[in-house]
Amino acid sequence: MIEEILILVITFCVLMLINVPIAICIGVASFLTVLAIGNVDTAYIIAQRMAGGVESFPLLAIPFFIISGYLMGEGGMARRLIDFASAAVGWCKGGLGYVNVLTCMMFGSISGSAAAAVSSIGGFMIPEMNRKGYDKSFNVAITCTAATTGLLIPPSNVMIVYAVVAGSVSVADLFMAGVLPGIIVGVCLMIAGGLICWKRGYGGAQATSPKRIATTFVHAVPSLLLIVIVLYGILGGICSATEASAVSVLYALILTVFLYREVKIKDLPKLFLSSVKTTAMVMLLVGCSTAMSWVMARENIPQNVSAALLALSDNKIVILLMINVILLIVGTFMDMTPAVLIFTPIFLPAVTAMGIDPVHFGIILIANLCIGLCTPPVGTCLFIGCGVGKTTIAKVLPSLIPFFIAMFVSLMAITYIPWLSMWLPALVKSFGQ
Amino acid sequence: MSMLKIMTGIRNGLVKLLQVSAIVIMIVLVVDVLWGVFSRYAIGHQTRWTEEVATILLIWISFFGGSLTYAEKGHLGVDYFVGKLDPDAQRLNEILCHLIVGLFAAAAMIYGGWLLFSKTMASGQTLPALGIEAGYKYIVVPISGCFMLLFAIEHIMELLAKRNCREAVR
Repeated sequence: MIEEILILVITFCVLMLINVPIAICIGVASFLTVLAIGNVDTAYIIAQRMAGGVESFPLLAIPFFIISGYLMGEGGMARRLIDFASAAVGWCKGGLGYVNVLTCMMFGSISGSAAAAVSSIGGFMIPEMNRKGYDKSFNVAITCTAATTGLLIPPSNVMIVYAVVAGSVSVADLFMAGVLPGIIVGVCLMIAGGLICWKRGYGGAQATSPKRIATTFVHAVPSLLLIVIVLYGILGGICSATEASAVSVLYALILTVFLYREVKIKDLPKLFLSSVKTTAMVMLLVGCSTAMSWVMARENIPQNVSAALLALSDNKIVILLMINVILLIVGTFMDMTPAVLIFTPIFLPAVTAMGIDPVHFGIILIANLCIGLCTPPVGTCLFIGCGVGKTTIAKVLPSLIPFFIAMFVSLMAITYIPWLSMWLPALVKSFGQ
Repeated sequence: MSMLKIMTGIRNGLVKLLQVSAIVIMIVLVVDVLWGVFSRYAIGHQTRWTEEVATILLIWISFFGGSLTYAEKGHLGVDYFVGKLDPDAQRLNEILCHLIVGLFAAAAMIYGGWLLFSKTMASGQTLPALGIEAGYKYIVVPISGCFMLLFAIEHIMELLAKRNCREAVR
């Protein structure tokens, strides 16, 4: 039993250290562990779990949301959202900081990808903020952290992954549960950014007028409508999340190819192909992690972790704090999707044993791992942000600290005030009855 | 060197083939799911096969896409620690990584996937709406395993050739 767990953990860590693709690390570690357990047909079990893991209709929403996100991104959505945010909040002191966060929240929600938000919004906003005299490392730091809010604000692919791994969690509930926490993280980032701008005396962008707010809003509405269509479809019981995602592809196609004509038909194959690659990356991870969950369940790892945690303390607050600290450490060197896939089955039994709703835990997990996306040594958002802003991680790190504090404060609020996550899903349900 | 050229040619051909099939599968997927929703509201009852087709194609696109992404070295990894090694050690390490991927593809995907395919076929299960044998869902696992193994071998040959070149220059 102990030997087998050691094989699993050590193989995984060593392979990850030498830069084997994480999905394969998980696959090989599970393979060797099953081999050590014996008595079963190892190769068959692994192949069966891998294929079984991706054989899931709900997961199909992931490629669809990726395609519609790409389409909207290529179709000039970033520019429209920035125009609207500038008119709405760009006029005040440190306005461009607020514009950046607000645009990232909207763009991240629609594109469902923090990385896309950093490159698209950062590509516009960082040079613009540099020109207006904002500090370069400040600009990169605020963009990277703000981009992660899109993972909490629906629709969100990582929530679909969580719902599938956790089992018996409704995607609709998760989507609604993420709304307030996503806004809270965004507001905390705005406060942190605002304080810095105020201290340094950064100016506003330009004067605004109600008319300008109205016109830019009208231009941004078709993009924002995508969120409304998806949520209305799912929450109204009209279609499943997967079907809603397919509808969002159709909507994005009509809007960007035929109405805006900013995406050419000949660009579509390339766009589909990049979505296939992103999807395949996630799906291979899901497949291999399903094999690993089988191994872990067989070795009773979730039950043991749960028992160990509950033995350390029977206080909900303490245990949640411990889980949060572990996840923060994990997040620094692991990307979000593999971390969700690996740690959901490990922690969920302990957490549910303490009476925490799986939906609430999903939001805690994602809010926590968002911080890890902006920390070295492995931080996708930070890397892309430094690339876009033409600066280095070492230079950005000091500027990131206030934003990390803001994210940590909101994480604590999300963790210890369940109401923030659970109120909206309950409200929506009460409307449905 | 000519062996490498042949392998690179094979890889490029396979990549093209995989790209085209991935795009086609993706388009069929979108149309299929949309048709599912449409049929439910326009015709009044949902076409039964849409969800089955979607699930099969999702398995296919995941595994085909997985090998395609590997051919282009696009999978997530942790390159932070390896980046600290000197170039020769990095290359050696990279060869080791591709070796591990190749072995995994051979053992789990080709051998294991073939067992999965043949056992499911032997069980005689059929898909209720489509009426075809359920095993065909899984044929993609061993096939993608073969692609992945080929790509691993090609990556390794490329890395070995690079070293030979450098030694010749010295």
